[in-house]
Amino acid sequence: MKFAPLILKHLRKNWLRTLSTVLAMAVCIFLICTLQTVVDAVNYGLSLGNASRLVTRHYVSLVFNLPNSYKNKIAAIPGVQNTTIVNWFGGMYRGDMKYFFPNMAVEPERFMEIYPEIMVPEDQKQAWFHDGRGCIVGRKLADKWGWKVGDHFQLESFIPPYRVGKPFEFIIDGIYDTDTVKYPGTDLTAMYFNYKYLYEATGERAGIGTITVSIDDPKNAGRISKAIDAAFENSDVQTKTETEQAFRASFIAMAGNLALLLNGIGLAVAFTILLVTANTMSIAVRERQQEIGVLKTLGFPSGLVMALVLIEALLLGLMGGALGLFFAGGAIHALPSVPFIGDVVRQFPGLGLSPKIVSYGLGAALLLGLLAGLVPAVLAYRARITEVLRQV
Amino acid sequence: MSATEAAAKTGAVSVQNVRKFYQRDSMQIKVLDGLNLEVPPGEFLALMGPSGSGKTTLLNLIAGIDRATSGRVVVAGTDLGPLSEGELAKWRSRNVGFIFQFYNLIPVLNAVENVELPLLLTSLSRRERRERAMTALRIVGLSDRYKHYPRQLSGGQEQRVAIARAVVTDPTVLVADEPTGDLDAQSAEEILDLMQTFNKDFGKTIVMVTHDPRAAVRAHTQRHLEKGVLTN
Repeated sequence: MKFAPLILKHLRKNWLRTLSTVLAMAVCIFLICTLQTVVDAVNYGLSLGNASRLVTRHYVSLVFNLPNSYKNKIAAIPGVQNTTIVNWFGGMYRGDMKYFFPNMAVEPERFMEIYPEIMVPEDQKQAWFHDGRGCIVGRKLADKWGWKVGDHFQLESFIPPYRVGKPFEFIIDGIYDTDTVKYPGTDLTAMYFNYKYLYEATGERAGIGTITVSIDDPKNAGRISKAIDAAFENSDVQTKTETEQAFRASFIAMAGNLALLLNGIGLAVAFTILLVTANTMSIAVRERQQEIGVLKTLGFPSGLVMALVLIEALLLGLMGGALGLFFAGGAIHALPSVPFIGDVVRQFPGLGLSPKIVSYGLGAALLLGLLAGLVPAVLAYRARITEVLRQV
Repeated sequence: MSATEAAAKTGAVSVQNVRKFYQRDSMQIKVLDGLNLEVPPGEFLALMGPSGSGKTTLLNLIAGIDRATSGRVVVAGTDLGPLSEGELAKWRSRNVGFIFQFYNLIPVLNAVENVELPLLLTSLSRRERRERAMTALRIVGLSDRYKHYPRQLSGGQEQRVAIARAVVTDPTVLVADEPTGDLDAQSAEEILDLMQTFNKDFGKTIVMVTHDPRAAVRAHTQRHLEKGVLTN
C-alpha cells in the first residue's frame, strides 16, 4: 500500500490518457458482458423447451407454409399423441411495430392440451373455445395494457397473406398465468387466438406455419421426427421436424448467428483494446524510463519495479471493468424496454447481470490489463540503469 | 560490524585493478583499464577528466549500478562483485546516495514524497518516513517547499531535494555525477556548500564527477582520469 501514491499519481498525471484507456476498456467489457448475458439468457430459454413436443415446419424455411392436409397425416403417425397448428401472426398493436408482442393463431382445445404451462381459469378457457374472435393473453401483457377479460383490441399483421384490408378484431376471453416453478421461462407477454378466425378471414388462404406435435415419450423424439419427415419425403412440400428445443434454436438461428457475430465483434474489440492499452502502457513506461532508472538506482528491486507497472495496468483494467459492468448493468436493465429487442429478450427468463457474468467481466478486464501491462512490465524489469539513465 | 566501521577499516571505497569493457556490435570498447583507487572514509573526492575518460563508469561501479569486467570494487566494506542483482539493489538502498546532474526527481511526486522514496524500501512507518524526509528537507533548507512539485522548483531547489533524497537513508557514500552541471553559478555554489556540509558535519564520504574546476576545488582530493587510467 505504501507504493499506492506513486501508482495513483501516475494515473492521475495523464488523466486524459487514463480516462480514455479506462473508457476503451469499459466499452469492451460492456460489450462482452451485455452480449454474454443475452446469449446466456437465450441459451437458458432454449434449455426450457418441452422434450415431449416436436415442431414440424416447411423444410426450406419458416417463411413457407405447410398444406393444411399435413396435420391429419402427422396425427396418424405412431407415437404422436396430439397436434396443434401454431401460426406466427405478426400482428401489430395500434398499427405500430413499437407496440409489438408475440401473437399466434392456434387451435384452442388442442393447444391447451399440448401446452400445460398455459394456465387459464376453466370458465375463461371454455369461453375462448367457443368464441371465434376470442383470444387469451399473458398476465404481463394484460397488465402492461391494463386489459381485462371482455376487452376488445385490434391487430394488423405485417405478413402479406394475413393483411386483409382491415385489422383483425379480438375479444379477450382469458388471461393466462403459469406455474413459474414448474414451467420457468413461460412467456407471459404473448397472445393466442383461434386459427379458424385467421383461416376464414384470409379467405381460406392461410396455410400452416408450424405444427406442434406432442409425443408419447421424449425418448422416441428422434424416431418420430424421422417418421414425420419421411411421410412427406416424396411430396412437393417436404418437412423438417425437430424437438421444441431444437426448433427454438433454429427459430432464433438468426439471433444466434447475430450473437456469434456480435461476440466476434466483442472479441475483435477486446483484441483492439488490448493492443491500444498495451500501446498506451508501453508509451507510459517508455516515458518513464528515466524514472525506472532512478527507482532502480535508489535500490528498488527489478521485481518491484515490474510489479508497480503491472499493478498500474491492472488498476486500469479494474477501473475499466467496473465501469463497463456498470454500463452493462444499466443496459441489461433497460433492454426489455427497448422496442423489438425488448420483445425478444423478455421471453428469456433470468436476463440480468449474473455473478458469473460479473466475475467473467472483471476477469476479462483484469486479463486485458495484465496482458497490456506484461510487455512494458518485463521491459521495466529488464531495463539497465546505466542504459536508461544514459550515463555511459 | 556496521558498514561505517567496515569502511573505516578497509577504506570507504576500494577499487582494485578494475577493468571495464563495453561490447558495441563486434567491437570491444575499453573504458577502464586496470584502475586502482582508494577513498578513505570522510573523504571528498573529485574525479575529473575529459568526456569519455571513464569518470561516470567508475562512479557507476562505485555506486553498484554497473559491474566491472574484472577486478574488485569494495564499497562500505562490501565486495560488490559476488552480489546478485537483488542483493546489489538492497545494498544500494542502504549504503549509497546518488546525486544526478539533472536531479531526476519523479515529476508526479512532490518534494517530500520524492525524498521519501528510498524510505519506502525500509520497514519504517508512514509517520517515521515522513518525519525523516522532512528532516532531510530541513537540512537542505526546503522544509517550506515540501509540498511543491519539481516543476514548481528552480534547478537549484530541485538539486537540493535530490540531495535530501540521497542522504535520507543515511548512506555511507554519496556519489554525485556532475551535480552542478545544470545549474547557474550561484545555485552551484549553494549545492557545493551543501555537499561540503554533508562531508564535514555528517562525515559522508563523497565521490563527485565534475568538469567544473570551481566544483573540484571544494573537494579534498582531485583525481584525473584519462582514457580509463588515473593520471594523478
